[in-house]
Amino acid sequence: MLRGGTGWTGWRLRGRAPDSLDGVTLGIPGRPALGHATPKRTTATARISRAALEVNLHAVLASTPAGVIDVRADAWGHGIEVVAPLALAAGAAAVLVDESAAPELERFADSARIVVDGVGIAPNAVYGLSPGFTPALSLSGWVLSLKALHEGEGVSYGYTYRAPRDTTVALVTGGYAQGVVRALGNAASVLIAGERHPIVGRVAMDVCVVDIGSAAVAPGDEAMFFGRPAAGEPSLADWAAATGMTPGELVTAVGLRNPREYTA
Amino acid sequence: MTGPRLDIDLDAFAANLGAVGDRVAPAQLMLVVKDDAYGHGLEPIVRRAAAEGVRWFGAFDVREALLTRTVAGHDVRVFTWLTVAAAGIGAALAADLDLGVGDPDFLEEIAAVARRVDATARVHLKVDTGLHRNGIRPEDWGTVIGRARALADSGVISLVGVWSHIAEASDEEDDAARAAFDAAVATAEAAGFDLEVRHLSASAAAFARPEFRYDLVRVGAFCYGIRSAGGPDEPELRIRPIASLRAPVTHVADHAVTIGVGALHGLPSTLAKQATLVVAGGRVDVLRVDEAHSLIGPWSHARIGDEFTVFGPDGRSATDLAEAIGTVGEEILVRVSPLVPRSYSS
Repeated sequence: MLRGGTGWTGWRLRGRAPDSLDGVTLGIPGRPALGHATPKRTTATARISRAALEVNLHAVLASTPAGVIDVRADAWGHGIEVVAPLALAAGAAAVLVDESAAPELERFADSARIVVDGVGIAPNAVYGLSPGFTPALSLSGWVLSLKALHEGEGVSYGYTYRAPRDTTVALVTGGYAQGVVRALGNAASVLIAGERHPIVGRVAMDVCVVDIGSAAVAPGDEAMFFGRPAAGEPSLADWAAATGMTPGELVTAVGLRNPREYTA
Repeated sequence: MTGPRLDIDLDAFAANLGAVGDRVAPAQLMLVVKDDAYGHGLEPIVRRAAAEGVRWFGAFDVREALLTRTVAGHDVRVFTWLTVAAAGIGAALAADLDLGVGDPDFLEEIAAVARRVDATARVHLKVDTGLHRNGIRPEDWGTVIGRARALADSGVISLVGVWSHIAEASDEEDDAARAAFDAAVATAEAAGFDLEVRHLSASAAAFARPEFRYDLVRVGAFCYGIRSAGGPDEPELRIRPIASLRAPVTHVADHAVTIGVGALHGLPSTLAKQATLVVAGGRVDVLRVDEAHSLIGPWSHARIGDEFTVFGPDGRSATDLAEAIGTVGEEILVRVSPLVPRSYSS
C-alpha cells in the first residue's frame, strides 16, 4: 500500500528558523529561565543578498525584456518566496516554477505570471553564478572546537590526510548532508578571520576538519565555505572545479539544506 | 506527475533493523537518525523503529533530537552530540536527552546549565582515538575524567557512557584505536564511574568485528540498507535498500530516453557517462544529467509515463551510483532534494 505524503512533512519547509535553539530562552517548566544564554552559532548558515539578486535580475531583464525567470527548486535554493516577487517587480513576464510549487505561489503572485513549462533566461546570471554577476548566496559554518594535531597523525575516515608537521585543526560545522560535497576534502579551503585554511581529510556527513596552522582562531568563529570572490571570499567556482559538478546544483543543494538568512 | 519521488519501504527498514540487531547482540543498537534520517524522513523512521523495539536513537543536533523525543516518546534514550550553547543544553535537559561531549569546555557549560536548572545531565564523554575530529585527546583524558568526577560528586552530571569513533582506515589502526578506547574506559572506571554504555563502532565495524561492539553500536547506513562503498554486498549483510528514487519517462527518442529527475533534484551531474542503470531486461547508460531531466539510453521499449527506478533494491543501489563517482551511498541519499516528495509503504 502506498500512502503518499503521510509522514514526511518537509524538512526545510516546516519553517526551520536559523539556529532556532541558539540565543533563545528555553527554560524548564517551573525552573528558572536561562536568561543570559550566550548566543553561539553552530548550524551552518546560507546568507542571501537581496541586493545581489536585484542587481542580477535587472541586468538579465535589461538584455531580455519581459523574460521568464527560473525559480524552480525553491529558486535554486535561494527561496522562491523572496526571488519570485523580486523577479516580477523587476519586470519579468513570468516565473518558471516546479509543478508542485505553483499552487502555493499563486497565493502571492498573479497566476498568469506563473508558468510550469519552458525555459528561464540565464539562471546562472540571475543567481550570480556566471562571471560578471554577483553571487547572491554565501555559505558559512562555525568553528566548534580546536585541537592539537601531531606530525604524522591522520584526520577523519580513512586517514586520507596526515599532518606533515605539528599543527592545530578546527572542527567546523558543515558536511555533505549540508551540501559540503564529500569530494571537497583535501581539495578546497575556508575563510576564517580573513585567512584561507584547507579542508583536510574526508568531509563527514555534518562536519569537516580545517588545518589552521598557527592562526589565531577561536571556537565560535565563522568559517566561510564560499561567497563573493570579488571580496576575497572563496568561490563556488573552486567547488565546481574540485567536484566536477555545476555551480547551479552545488548552490541549490546548499540553499535547500541549510537555514537561510536574508540581508538587504 | 513530471518529477521524481522517493519511495520508502518501512517493512524493509524493519527487516534491516532486525538483521542488524541480531548481528550485534548482545550489544544494543542505537539507530542514527541525523540529517532527516539520512534523507529518509525522520518522523516515519523514528515511529517505525520505536514500534520495532529500538531503544536508543542518535541525533546530531538538539533540534532533531527533540523531534525524535516527541515522536518516540519517553521510553527511549535519545543521544545528541553537537556542541551547543546554553539554550540548546537547557532544551536538551528538559527533554531528558543524553549528551555526547568531546570538548572540556562543553562539559563545563553543561554543568553550569544543569546547576542553574537543578538538573543532572546524563553525559557520554568522547575520547579521541585517532579520528581527530570531536573528542578529548588521550593525554588530556585523565584531567577531564578528574573534572567529571568532581561534577558528578556535586550532582550536576552523571557520566553514563564513554564513546569514540574510528577511522576504518585499516584493521591495524582500528585495533590501535580500540586499545586507546579500552585505556580511556579503564581510567573512567578507576575514577569510580560505573559506566552504563561503552560505544565505539558504526555500521561497518559493528557488523564485521565483534570486539568493537561493546554495549552499544551506533548504526545508520546499514539500517537504511546502504552498504559501504567497496564493502560487502547486501546479501552478505542481510540488508536491502529501503529507498527507491523513481522518475517518469517524459520523452522518448531513438537515441535516448528523458526521465524527470535532474541535478536540481539532487542527482549528481557527475553520474553522466560514469554510471550504468538498470531497466527490465538490460542496462542503460546515464548520458546526461540536466537541471530537471536526465537522458538515459539506449532503452528501446520505453514509453512516456513509464516509471523508471534510478536507484533502489531492484536495480542499482545508491552505493552502486556512489562508487561510479568516487563517493559513498549516504551522500547519494542525503543529496536527494528535500523538495522531492517521499512516500511510505508498510
